[in-house]
Amino acid sequence: MNGAHDLGGMDGVGPIAYEADEPVFHAEWERRVFAMTVAMGFYGAWNIDSSRHARERTPAAAYLSSSYYEIWLGGLERLLDETGLLPRAEIEARIAALREEAG
Amino acid sequence: MPVLAAADTPAVLRRGGSARVDAKVPARFAAGDRVAVRNLNPFGHTRAPRYVRCKMGTINRDHGVFIFPDTHAHGQGKRPQHVYSVRFTAHDLWGDEATSHDTVYVDLWDEYLAPA
Repeated sequence: MNGAHDLGGMDGVGPIAYEADEPVFHAEWERRVFAMTVAMGFYGAWNIDSSRHARERTPAAAYLSSSYYEIWLGGLERLLDETGLLPRAEIEARIAALREEAG
Repeated sequence: MPVLAAADTPAVLRRGGSARVDAKVPARFAAGDRVAVRNLNPFGHTRAPRYVRCKMGTINRDHGVFIFPDTHAHGQGKRPQHVYSVRFTAHDLWGDEATSHDTVYVDLWDEYLAPA
């Protein structure tokens, strides 16, 4: 698909910010998203190509304004929803409950 | 149900998952062949980036036989085929204003290519 992920040759997205001694993860939630993605990939309900496609189906404007692991999380949620393993409504309900809990 | 236990994770991550296929598939191209990337605009997944489509390049090397992501992403089979490193000059990609000494190597599946 001709999506926003296909950045080669595109101008206007700014310089690449190099980071000295860049850590693998910039926040604890990124580590967890990576772990969940690997664990669910191992489960076998999809393959690496369908998971790449799930990430590139992020709507274009959201794709360009999301961080790397935000896109990974969105892709995982999309696959969980489409396979029926965890419908989006359940994810939304859980987020709402946690938000309420946190006050 | 396959479950990835925490203790097995380091070994699994070290091993990785190769898309290489042990299948005898004829190679349509060989190093040195001139090729053109087809004008592909699929609605589904593809590993052919837009900036090489309709551009001419030269086969640099044959990587061997791999799963075809365009079908595999949609549950339409592995369709094993050769993947080649294809060399493009900056001139061919970006026009006469580009530097004359730069080249780009892109790994491309057999089906993306046509003889040129």
